[in-house]
Parts: sequence; structure tokens; C-alpha cells
Amino acid sequence: MAVISFDKLTKTYKTGFRKKKTALKDFSLDIREGEVFGFLGPNGAGKSTAIKILLNLIFPTAGKAEILGSDVGEKEIRRSVGYLPENPYFYDYLNPVELLSFAGRASNMDSLKIREKTESLLNTVGLWNERKRAIRSYSKGMVQRVGLALALIHDPKVVILDEPMTGLDPIGRKQVIDLILKLKSEGKTIFFSSHILEDIERICDRIGMLVNGQLRRVIDFKKEKLIKSLEDTFIEEVEKAGGLQQ
Amino acid sequence: MNAVWSVALITFKEGIKNRVIFGIFIIALLLFAATTTVTTLFMRDIVKVAVDLSLSTVSFAGLLTLLFIGVNLFGKDLDKRTIYMVISRPISRSEYLIGKFIGIVLLALSVVVFLGLLSIVPVIMSKRFYYYTEAKFDWWIYFIAVIYIFIKLAVVSSIITLFASFTSNSFIALVLSLVAYIIGQSTESVRELLVSQVEKIEVSPILSYMVEIAYYVFPNISAFDLKTQAAHGLSINPSYIIWTALYAVFYMTIALAIGTLAFRRREFP
Repeated sequence: MAVISFDKLTKTYKTGFRKKKTALKDFSLDIREGEVFGFLGPNGAGKSTAIKILLNLIFPTAGKAEILGSDVGEKEIRRSVGYLPENPYFYDYLNPVELLSFAGRASNMDSLKIREKTESLLNTVGLWNERKRAIRSYSKGMVQRVGLALALIHDPKVVILDEPMTGLDPIGRKQVIDLILKLKSEGKTIFFSSHILEDIERICDRIGMLVNGQLRRVIDFKKEKLIKSLEDTFIEEVEKAGGLQQ
Repeated sequence: MNAVWSVALITFKEGIKNRVIFGIFIIALLLFAATTTVTTLFMRDIVKVAVDLSLSTVSFAGLLTLLFIGVNLFGKDLDKRTIYMVISRPISRSEYLIGKFIGIVLLALSVVVFLGLLSIVPVIMSKRFYYYTEAKFDWWIYFIAVIYIFIKLAVVSSIITLFASFTSNSFIALVLSLVAYIIGQSTESVRELLVSQVEKIEVSPILSYMVEIAYYVFPNISAFDLKTQAAHGLSINPSYIIWTALYAVFYMTIALAIGTLAFRRREFP
């Protein structure tokens, strides 16, 4: 059974009175249990749109998306999903402990478990000593790390990360990569989008290339050996798709 | 319920830690101090003036809290997409909206309780320093008036929630809420003026019809104003208290039901 499944998904946005933009067109993809799947595509390719549909933040125009066999519209399924948005923004006046406590309560965790997970996660992302500071005094990288902790507090089976390396320094990037690999070793399914091809190649089992709202190619690194570099392969796919359509 | 409560709690925490609230408290404290000074300028009815000004201060501070913090608590979620963090959890859009409303109401409650208790000081001072045997004053009526300030603020919170459910940015929600408050404050007086025909002015039927619609669509904010009764120590009819409270519950239910319906299909691209 596919853990995440997109079935002929189409999403059209209204951009003006009579203008529409198709962000995703007939997009189908299955992501298997326990794999790390990298979602690759130029800016505006539709990666975030697909991810937002999975989290029920936006609704598909046609087709459907499922997580663990349930429609993404069912709120209970989000108990099994951890999500890090692109450029996350959290409540300014709260500290990470208060945010994690909210996230744990919303997922029906008991107080003791929330406290334990909060300590271990904040230690993992290197924020335990900063835990009493309000988020508004945090740097971009620190906010990103709070976001990662929030995505993992309820020990989800599926982890969806939208550009998790954005705004991180090399050490922060390494921490995220180590964390993704640790989650993979725990049997979790990870679906993430990124621009950083080097990282994608290092940690992914499979990647999907999305250009102009259409899935151009899926590469399974276990079965397929790339002749060219990933960057060249990616550029080739973008060019084959007729370049970027604005 | 867990989902609603967790949203309410985080909303309340974010609101109460906002620095703007300290500014509002300082303004309220200055107004309380001014009340004590201003009352000395009056020859008579000093307690009435003190009660009127104290209750007005509590109401004004509550309204500032809702407009500058309450609206922003929604605004930031929608403008800066903090909402992603909330509704990507097992929380439905309806639960989010109701939780947010409860959080804002809790914020209004804490402001009213804190300032309501503090407002006793200028009233007691005016009673102590300028004692008049003919002055009628009843603390019960005073506290009922304070409770009705809170009920009014809860109704205003439901209007803010309603506007936030379909507007695209917080400034529009702020303007609409303020307009609804101002209209709601005056519809009853305007309607009474038209109905009583005291001034014998010819009014077009369309205008009368519009006033009638505004009277029923906008909340009757003036109904919650019991300052006059508290200042003059006038007894309040129990049926008025019950019906006004029921009206508030009814209005809030309708506003939240419409808000929830609008919010259910809202997307956050």
C-alpha cells in the first residue's frame, strides 16, 4: 500500500477576474512505506501546491490525494502526519516549549509524554538552552528548527517537509540531513521538497521531478544509475518540458 | 473539544503576552487616575461621574484589546500563515475558528476582570472623599454593569471572528469590525428617533427600511450599556438582564455559525 498517493490531481488557481493558472495537472504519484522521497522542481513548479493539498490547506480542483489510505480531507489522518511549511512563521510571543505543548495537546498526547518529547526534540535540534526565549527573538535558522521539532512532536508515521534546508547554515543542514536519516532508520516515510540537489541525492531513495505542474520523471536510485549528474539531468528535464512557463 | 481548547489556550497566551496589552493597561490606569482628579471639579453627583468614567474606562480598554490584539491574533495567522502550524494538525477549520474565538473572549475576560476590580478604587475614593447622603449607589448594579461590558466584548469578538473568516487581510477585518461596532452602538437610538417621530421630520421609507435592517443585522451594542443604571443606582429589571444575555448568546451563535460556514471552504495557498 502506498503511504502517500496522488491520483490524477489537478489544481487551478484564480489569478484574476477571468484568469486562471494551473499549478498541477493530472499529477499522479505513489510514495511507499519507509522511503525518503525527494520532490524536485524549479520555483513555481507546483511542489508546495501538492504538499498543501496533502495537508488539506488547499483543495484539489480534480483528482484525489490520500495518506495511509484515507482521504486527506479527514482530519484524523493528520494525527499520523508531521509537517514543516516553507518559511515557517510561528507565534511571536511564545517560546518553543509552549508551541510544542500546543502541538502535543492538539494531537491528544498526555502532558508527561509532551514534556519528554519536548526535551528530547529541542536537544536534537539544538534549542534546549534557548527554550525560554520568545520565538520573535530567534534567527531564521532557529525558527526552521522549531518547525522541525513541531513536525515531529507527535511521533508521526509520515513526515512532510517543504524546503527544510532553507535558511540553514551548513551545520544546520547537516543536522536536518542526520535527522531525516534517523527518521528513515525508525521506519518513517519522508516526503520532502528541496532545491539543494546535492542533499537530495545523498539521502533520497527516489526522487520525482516536477516541471510546470506535471511530473516529468521519477528516479529510483536503487535501480537506476544516472549517467549525467543530477543537476544536468534536472536541467535536461526542464528543457524537455519547454522551459519554465510563467 | 481538545482541539478547540488547545487553539483557545494558545490564542489566549499569545494575546496576553503581547506588549500592546501593557500599553492598554497604562492608558486605563491613567484614565482611572484622571477620574479621581476630574470628579473633584464637580460640585454634585461626584459618585455618578466616578462610576460613569470608571465603567467607560473598562469598556474602552476592552475594546482596544479586541481591536488591536484580537483582530491581530487572526490577522497574523492568516497574513503570515501561522495557520499552517495549526490546521496541519488534527484540527478542523471550524474547531480552529471556535477555538480562536474562545481565546479572544478569554483575553477580553481577563482584561475586564483585572480592570473591573481596579475600577473600584476611583469609585471608593470618590465615595469616601465626597460623601453625599442623597447619592444612590449599589455595588451589585455596578458589577452587573461590569459583567455586561464583558458580554458586549464577547459579542464584538464574535463579529471580529465572523469578519476574519472571509476577509483576506487583518486591516479589512479591523475596519469592518469597527464599523459594525459604531453602527451597533447607535442603531437603537436612530430607530427610536424614527419610530417616535418626536422631531416630526419626514423620512423616506427607504431610509426607514435601511435603519430597520441595520437594527436587526448589526448587534445592538447599546443594549449592554448599563452605565446609567450603575451611576444612578437604578434597579435593573431581571427580565432585561436575562433577555439581553440571551440576545448576546443568540447573536454570537449566528455570527459564529456564518463564520464557520465561510471558513470551512477557505483555502490557504
